[in-house]
Amino acid sequence: MSPSPDMPLTPSERDALAGEYVLGLLEGADLAAFERRLEADAELAASVERWRQHFAAIDATAPAIPPSPELWRRIETELAAITPLAARPAATTAPVPPIPSSGSRFSDWWNSLFVWRGAALAGALATLLLAASLVGALDRARRQPVMVAVLLTETNVAAAVVNTFRDGRVEMLPLQAIAVPEGKALEIWTLWDRAVGPRSVGLIERPRATALRLDQLPLGANQLFEITLEPATGSPTGRPTGPVIAKGTTSQAL
Amino acid sequence: MATSATLPKQATEIEAALRACASGDKLALKRIYEAESARMLGVAQRLLKRRALAEEAVQDAFVLIWRHAARFDPERGSGLTWIYAILRNRALSILRDEKRTETSDTPVAEQTASEEDDPETVMSKLSDAKALRACLEQLPEQRRGIVLLAFVQGLTHGEIAGRLKLPIGTVKSWIRRSLLALKECLG
Repeated sequence: MSPSPDMPLTPSERDALAGEYVLGLLEGADLAAFERRLEADAELAASVERWRQHFAAIDATAPAIPPSPELWRRIETELAAITPLAARPAATTAPVPPIPSSGSRFSDWWNSLFVWRGAALAGALATLLLAASLVGALDRARRQPVMVAVLLTETNVAAAVVNTFRDGRVEMLPLQAIAVPEGKALEIWTLWDRAVGPRSVGLIERPRATALRLDQLPLGANQLFEITLEPATGSPTGRPTGPVIAKGTTSQAL
Repeated sequence: MATSATLPKQATEIEAALRACASGDKLALKRIYEAESARMLGVAQRLLKRRALAEEAVQDAFVLIWRHAARFDPERGSGLTWIYAILRNRALSILRDEKRTETSDTPVAEQTASEEDDPETVMSKLSDAKALRACLEQLPEQRRGIVLLAFVQGLTHGEIAGRLKLPIGTVKSWIRRSLLALKECLG
């Protein structure tokens, strides 16, 4: 549809395409191609900026709606989760998991990991099929996930998929409607080392495709991802406190 | 830029705050939040219709602003258009994801937009001082409406075609021609 990325655009093609982009009308492969071109084409970028400046007048007509008081707190919670980790304990193979002060929940959670790992392996075929079909549905369809984790519920229903990409992006796609009670949110965790414990990588109010924020956290095969139900502002302890909705471990995509 | 939608003072404050964010100053992000979050929520609400989703878009936008502040380049555009571009991109991708994973009987796009978001109402609120208003007024009403539906409510070509009972090819070519006419008029 849109001109190939290598072909020069005429000035009117360029302005029309930039205008469609700013209107939000480019989708899927056209959008991906446009964004690639935008990185390298300064005239196109300038045209996009001109449209944005003009259309800003329309955004200025939007009513000002004061956000709920919790919104800034939710943002701060997310910022805390992406702040670079200070001295993280070196990876250890200690056979005994640390017992957190919050009681036995954590060790139960960890111990059950092995059960879940087995379940995830049993779901390997499903993983591959899902990965194959989901790739087509993604905006950046051209990029294959490097690793995929299928997060299963207690009843072995695939509730979500985590895809990791070569450029470091990690995303979670829900596969099931998950009911989230008022005042609660879904928090996503990853665990790569029992000595370090689980780290929060995302907080969403309702199931939707979301980018996970791993930043400096390690990412490898057999790494656990899990979704728990937490207060709307995220777990108060920085560790999973609510019921586990789904969990699974990463496998290399073929 | 002469047509900048913002007061120069406000614009430079946003840009100074973005520079401070890039060096890790969370209070600078809070200043942007205090200045812009209500308007940003209004923009997100027009696109997403549901308050909870609109707040999520604003939340995600502020996290992205924080993470990418170092990439903001004042040579390439204003700080204000940069943060609204982040917000709009985030809101649009939530909107498209919602449509894909929607389980309720009333997908987001089908939900009734408030009259406030109606193209002609938006037109009437556009500042007389803006070149955009004069140029939009030169377009036939229906074509102007299509451009505004796309921008204000985030409708796709297909959704606009469905709503106005027009062939999708007609919608696409009208938008293209409207954009070129606007470009010509805006200079």
